[in-house]
Amino acid sequence: MKKVYCDVSKCLGCRSCEIACAVEHSKSKTLFLAIKEEPLPINRRKVQAVDEIIISNACHHCEEAPCISACMSGAMYKAPDGSTQHDEEKCVGCWMCIMVCPFAAISRQTKLALKCDLCKDRTEGPVCVISCPTKSLVIKEVQK
Amino acid sequence: MNNEKSADSSVKETLCVACDRNISTVFDRFEAMQPECGFGQLGVCCRNCVMGPCRIGPFGEGAKEGICGANADTIAARNLVRMIAGGAAAHSDHGRDVAHTLLATSEGKTEGYAIKGKEKLFDLAKELNIKTENRKIEEIAHDVAEKCFAEFGQQYGELQFTKRAPKKRQEIWRKNKLTPRGIDREVVEIMHRTHIGVDNDYENLIQQGMRASLSDGWGGSMIATDLQDILFGSPTPVRSVSNLGVLKEDEVNIIVHGHEPTLSDVIVTASQDKELLELAKSYGAKGINLAGICCTANEILMRRGIPIAGNFLQQELAIITGAVEVFITDVQCVMPSLGKIAGCFHTKVVSTSPKAKFPGVEHIEFSEEEALPIAKKIVRLAIENYKNRKKELVNIPKEKMELIAGFTSEYVFKMLGGKYRATYRPLNDAIISGRLRGAVGIVGCNNPKVKHDWAHIELTKELIKNDVLVVTTGCSAIASAKAGLLLPEAAKKYAGKGLQEICEAVGCPPVLHMGSCVDISRILTTLCNVITEGGLGEDISDLPVAAAAPEWMSEKAVSIGFYAVVSGIYTVLGLPLPVMGGKNLTEYLTNDIENTVGGKFAFEPDPLKAAKLIIEHLNKKRELLKLKPMMYTK
Amino acid sequence: MNYVIIGASAAGISAIESIRETDKNGKITIVSDEDYPIYSRCLLSYYLAGTISEEKLKYRDDDFYKKNNVNAILGKKVELVLPDKKVKLSDSTIVPFDKLLIATGSRSKTEKIPGVQLEGVLGLRNIEDAKKIEVRLDKTKTAVMLGGGLIGLRAAYALHKRGVKVTVVVKSKHVLSQILDEEGASFIQKEMEKQGIKILTGLSATEIVGNKDVNGVVLENGEKIDCEIVVIGKGVQANTELVKGTDIKTERGIIVDDELKTTVSDIYSAGDVAQTSDLITGEKTINALWPNAVIQGKIAGLNMAGKNIKYDGSLAMNSVEFFGLPTISYGITKPKGEGYEFIVKKKYKKFVLKNNKIVGFVLVGDIDNAGVYGSLLRKKIDISSVKNKLLENNFNFAKILPLIKEHKDKFFEKEYDEVFAEQINAVKR
Repeated sequence: MKKVYCDVSKCLGCRSCEIACAVEHSKSKTLFLAIKEEPLPINRRKVQAVDEIIISNACHHCEEAPCISACMSGAMYKAPDGSTQHDEEKCVGCWMCIMVCPFAAISRQTKLALKCDLCKDRTEGPVCVISCPTKSLVIKEVQK
Repeated sequence: MNNEKSADSSVKETLCVACDRNISTVFDRFEAMQPECGFGQLGVCCRNCVMGPCRIGPFGEGAKEGICGANADTIAARNLVRMIAGGAAAHSDHGRDVAHTLLATSEGKTEGYAIKGKEKLFDLAKELNIKTENRKIEEIAHDVAEKCFAEFGQQYGELQFTKRAPKKRQEIWRKNKLTPRGIDREVVEIMHRTHIGVDNDYENLIQQGMRASLSDGWGGSMIATDLQDILFGSPTPVRSVSNLGVLKEDEVNIIVHGHEPTLSDVIVTASQDKELLELAKSYGAKGINLAGICCTANEILMRRGIPIAGNFLQQELAIITGAVEVFITDVQCVMPSLGKIAGCFHTKVVSTSPKAKFPGVEHIEFSEEEALPIAKKIVRLAIENYKNRKKELVNIPKEKMELIAGFTSEYVFKMLGGKYRATYRPLNDAIISGRLRGAVGIVGCNNPKVKHDWAHIELTKELIKNDVLVVTTGCSAIASAKAGLLLPEAAKKYAGKGLQEICEAVGCPPVLHMGSCVDISRILTTLCNVITEGGLGEDISDLPVAAAAPEWMSEKAVSIGFYAVVSGIYTVLGLPLPVMGGKNLTEYLTNDIENTVGGKFAFEPDPLKAAKLIIEHLNKKRELLKLKPMMYTK
Repeated sequence: MNYVIIGASAAGISAIESIRETDKNGKITIVSDEDYPIYSRCLLSYYLAGTISEEKLKYRDDDFYKKNNVNAILGKKVELVLPDKKVKLSDSTIVPFDKLLIATGSRSKTEKIPGVQLEGVLGLRNIEDAKKIEVRLDKTKTAVMLGGGLIGLRAAYALHKRGVKVTVVVKSKHVLSQILDEEGASFIQKEMEKQGIKILTGLSATEIVGNKDVNGVVLENGEKIDCEIVVIGKGVQANTELVKGTDIKTERGIIVDDELKTTVSDIYSAGDVAQTSDLITGEKTINALWPNAVIQGKIAGLNMAGKNIKYDGSLAMNSVEFFGLPTISYGITKPKGEGYEFIVKKKYKKFVLKNNKIVGFVLVGDIDNAGVYGSLLRKKIDISSVKNKLLENNFNFAKILPLIKEHKDKFFEKEYDEVFAEQINAVKR
């Protein structure tokens, strides 16, 4: 499985990844239209900091994903490639996944949980990686 | 949680009240903004044209140049000099307003002003070659005002007040094309040069930035200071009080915040009107209590002894005490959050300048022509609002500290020599003999990136401990005031032996409050007088002096920092200029620039380390002047 | 290997998946007394509220058993576990096993008051219950919930959404008294009352009245509430009857060790019926929650298939949202005894600490960081260095990075390693 890693020594907190993520998960997929949508698209990747460290944080697609065990509707599941995916149709917004995610990587919309899906519908791959100006975000094969 | 935010305990108290009532303040908004964008902090984000916006990655990844081809030094330099333009424009526009007020007053067109500083008027007239014999005061004032006004639109030549500087300094400026030609012209040229595809050489850009900063320090700011002295009187030492505890539970509280005494001085007059006092008493108030915030506070403190409620980061907190009837604002450093916060209380925020309006705030436009009636109207508004104060929402912190302010370049003569032998000699001698190591101006704003007031106070204490005389203005002065450093007693507590002796002999505090931010021009004039008195070199860069802005935040501070450096003064900033992404530019500003102008920048956030840098610098200058070794502290 | 699993809900299904992950060829038989497609009973109140259709109740696809090569015996109950590795079904069929997983779950507790057998007095435990309630809705104006726990409130919310006038009768001082403190519960209570749900606290029902069909409830203060449906949400009790007469030790449930083994070899138990160690207190307890059942089923399955995975214990944790106000309670929220410290933020966050470690918390409104707090609780981290940051609005995952660095041994999951990018730097060079 390939997933997105953040090199904290290179993250400058510009939040380009947040904007790119939100636009990619909007209906229109362009910035100027996305900002007018209702509901506004939500970025699944969040830039956070402590002291001197800045990190761009999103779903880590854990090998032992607590959200999958906690999900009471079966909406959270492991895709064949090993990534943790979320079936929005099945989600009832119970927030059990949020209750157990150790990275607080799941966001809430009204009655719908949202998280990084590795831009699975995008052939060129995750849009946050492409948008990062310092190449702090990279897509790499998971080490076994 | 709140302990870390300020060295002033009144802040912690009031923040607790804010927290309880879910009122967000500058401190909360600061936390919510973290982390801040590193590109912006490094100065390598350019938005000057719509081919961009461009960013240059500092790690060697990604774009190495903007789309037009500008490199990091160019981008950072362009951004920096635009900051100088913004800051210089603010100070100079303030000066312009004062010149307008003086002009209109001399023509009898205003209500509420007088020409109080007659001595200064004559001095200035002499300096500007204006005839004074057998002329009415109003006529002299008229000509002085007109000549000052003319400086703004001047296209060629040299700004008048640059001639106050030592000859050597003037030569340095002339040689390097730094002498400002006209106040507005220098700011306009910055805007032109920073347009895409004009000036792309960082040294050249900085040169224009330096010239524009001089048009502020030796131009707009100096005009503001001197004409304000003419209108409102030259300050003399005055006692007063500072901090939120100056607000009174049983009086009508009025706060005035902003920068122009053309507003605040008239408010003082209005607040002392007998009829209005009677009106207040009829509403059950014991009186009308006026207090200021930021520079306008310093102006009415210096001249009329009005108490100071707080500095920049405390403006919202003043409202949160629940005890303010009217909060009057004019221009600069006024937070747009005030309207929303006042909405949680009975407080009315009133804007007065056509240049400065805010959402959710009542606007009562101020004009010099009807100054006093408008001021009275605003005071009446406050009195009428007194009954709406909700006792249960009142939380006035008890913190209150006495202070002495009112020191000017003119007063130093009198202070040191007495009325009949006004002279700077004792000051120069003190430095030459080693009683005083030198003098440092600690100025500038607050910034939530630094624990509020902490860096100002620590730096001040460390320097006076080492026999350095500290002069201070602006929000820094207010910080020192609240910490009790503006009292003669502070010399015994904190000052080194040499400085203590001076303070005892003269009867002054170890830290001298010289006024508002435009009054930094007083410091420049003082330095010129020191040189003239003799024995300490021939140029400002020879003097054992330095400047520091430990908690700066505004563009005005960038302009001030530059005019200090370009006047030959070593300037230490508590936060770096946003240029670190441009490595050559940073090197230039912190090193090479000294070869041209005799001054340079240093960036040091730790106040004790900053003190060390400054003391080393003062010692170096003392050595070069071959002064006696320090008497007491090494 | 012949695996037999009793019960086809969270634990049972989870066990099937983890067995198949390890043992592709063993025989798996599952026995369930329900004949519905695999569904999540947690979703029943959403179904009752009309938020989701019956189709959406499904927890796994219809071909789950086929895909996993499972022999499913549905609609039959296991009556007894017999010695010599056999179980007996309700129709007397005998099913032998090599490894057995008892995941029979629990059933609603009933109130022992007169009238509880009348038509229209129901629990909300399974699809049948939900359908029975649904069928009565047409002729229901008012409903009474007995019990202020999650079942009672969820049912109340669901019926309110269907236009029924609802009254909740709560024995304790406030709703959700098992999992929330008074202040935390007050937000939910106030909001529900604001929306028109009546909540009576400190009262019990003494009798349910009616003439075959229920038509009212009588409270201990003599007041009678007219109603056409009564939903009983007074908790659950473990379905342990089938192990009577065996050596399988039971208390409130089937006692299991840290590998989910019962006291009889080759017999495991997981889910609501199993009594495991509590992660915080160490005592043997049942935290009857869906995520606990899923994880227990998974570990039991792996161990049945030959592994030796340790289960570190269950926790009480609940997430609920009513009228747009999300609430999470986690761990010990109402500690008894000495030595606990509380840190509270208005509206509303509350942390229960012991020796500077989080042992429980309640969040109302802003629940986004629950999982981060939860990880600090589970890993028993000393949080002194971030104590004053926990309540701040800007608290987020990054704020515990220094703790992760400091306690690398406790944050051992590989995803934590990846955060510090040493690997990336290594690969790049």
